[in-house]
Amino acid sequence: MPESHDTLSTETVAHVARLARLGLQPEEVTRLRDELRHILAAIDALKQADTSRVPATAHPLEERNVMREDRRAPCLPAEEALRNAPTRENGYFKVKAIQE
Amino acid sequence: MSLYQHTLRELRQMLVDREISSVELTEDVLRHIDAVGEQTNAYLLVTRDLALRQAAAADGRLRAGDARPLTGIPIALKDVLCVKGVAATAGSKILRAFVPPYDATVVERLAGEGAVFLGKTNCDEFAMGSSNENSGYRPVHNPFGLDRVPGGSSGGSAAAVAAGEAIAAVGSDTGGSVRQPAALTGIVGMKPTYGRVSRYGLIAFASSLDQIGPMSKDVADCAVLLQAIAGHDPRDSTSSAQPVPDYLEHLADGVQGLRLGVPREYFVEGMEPKVEAAVRAAIDLYRQQGAEIVDVSLPNSEYALAAYYIIAPAEASSNLARYDGTRYGLQVGSGRTLIEEYQATRAAGFGPEVRRRIMLGTYALSSGYYDAYYLQAQKVRTLIIEDFARAFQQVDALISATSPTVAFPLGAKTQDPVAMYLNDILTLPANLGNVCGISVPCGLADNLPVGLQVIAPGFREDLALRVAYAFETAAGFSRLRSPLMEAAA
Repeated sequence: MPESHDTLSTETVAHVARLARLGLQPEEVTRLRDELRHILAAIDALKQADTSRVPATAHPLEERNVMREDRRAPCLPAEEALRNAPTRENGYFKVKAIQE
Repeated sequence: MSLYQHTLRELRQMLVDREISSVELTEDVLRHIDAVGEQTNAYLLVTRDLALRQAAAADGRLRAGDARPLTGIPIALKDVLCVKGVAATAGSKILRAFVPPYDATVVERLAGEGAVFLGKTNCDEFAMGSSNENSGYRPVHNPFGLDRVPGGSSGGSAAAVAAGEAIAAVGSDTGGSVRQPAALTGIVGMKPTYGRVSRYGLIAFASSLDQIGPMSKDVADCAVLLQAIAGHDPRDSTSSAQPVPDYLEHLADGVQGLRLGVPREYFVEGMEPKVEAAVRAAIDLYRQQGAEIVDVSLPNSEYALAAYYIIAPAEASSNLARYDGTRYGLQVGSGRTLIEEYQATRAAGFGPEVRRRIMLGTYALSSGYYDAYYLQAQKVRTLIIEDFARAFQQVDALISATSPTVAFPLGAKTQDPVAMYLNDILTLPANLGNVCGISVPCGLADNLPVGLQVIAPGFREDLALRVAYAFETAAGFSRLRSPLMEAAA
């Protein structure tokens, strides 16, 4: 069972912050826990809605699988695509090691 | 009367008649921005040189008899729209140094029309907010009272139009971000149906809800601006191929014989009595104009806010994953590994409300909570869609207040996110239900503007405009002017 809004734990909040790649200080984890509890309490009404007979709406459009012709067209030159990159090298985005 | 005080359509006539040039007009508006800009903070960036270049080019087109409806008209763009070579921040510090390498489709269309770009307007960070106090740079002040918020998230665009710092503007609306600030600043603002306007080049907040919309001094100007930006775009597969009608053709047809629904759930708890009184007076005026007023129910409205504050943050948490310091924007390179760098960059670049929504959205999508929150919210979205469908079997359009309150003082709601979220309670159902909505001025309460919302079925922007225009014409609020608009240039 998911924990309810008033028992949302500091550990869960820290876990969610790791999933979201947000580097939070311990005091901010505590503050966000309290804020999320407050927000989740306010939106708890969601559970009262009777949705037993309806499907979920993932997207407002009825159109599906929009296809286009497979034709060559100009795309952004590499130099322009890289121009905003904070660090780059030899025509590539440069990143830190992904493993220790 | 100064040029910046005129409507788009009046100026268009003056330009075509060669009474004025676009350079004269643009210089007049730029002078007014210099005079009042520091009072409103409406702009994050004024593109003076670009504007004057475009104005000179527009004058060439006007001389050559090649003018389109927006040729030579100075407009403002919310800073979530990409203009090639012009910095775009989305109101966030994480995008402080970002210069888009391409134009948004809306920008390309407006430029093709010969519009003049005055600059990028202030907004809540990544369009998340209802007061503009979440801007990563500075808050916007309401031209009707500088101690008041302009609404949000398109608060800069709204304040610019209301103060005369732009003839019209473009904003984006995910849960009310065009309509609510339009209401709070006494201007007109429309959220078109999802798919009516291309989102290509719009910095994304919640991709199933975002829609770009026009903001203007009156309803006819709104129709002209919508005409320029609506229509299918092969670069946005969610843009609709439905033909775009002529939005001016039936604008003045009136409401005689139309059935207008008043959703009883939209007189919400916490609505200010003076707002309710203004809306009730508007309903009476529609009755006098020959409309049949029908009491209707949208029974699932009470769940809309909750569903929205799961769906929008969930989509946002996914969309904002791209801000990791690799391809663009801020990079805080203090970590040893890539993940540490991501964490440091995102902690330094995102403001408090954006963090809250990323956390809320990630939580709602995470293992163990998905069914209780995200899936349930998507099912409630179906109920909201069904509510609108049932109502539109009975009536042609719906009318309500746009916001339950007038503009509130800066700082009044910043300590309580839930109190802030309630500002959108009357606007966000239209995004969830994928219908279109417009806010039109409906008077002043204690010298602060009240907005009337007209909601029409999907792809019936023509009808929403017509119903709003009938009210504007009958009520005579079309020239509601802020003190800053009155200020001499």
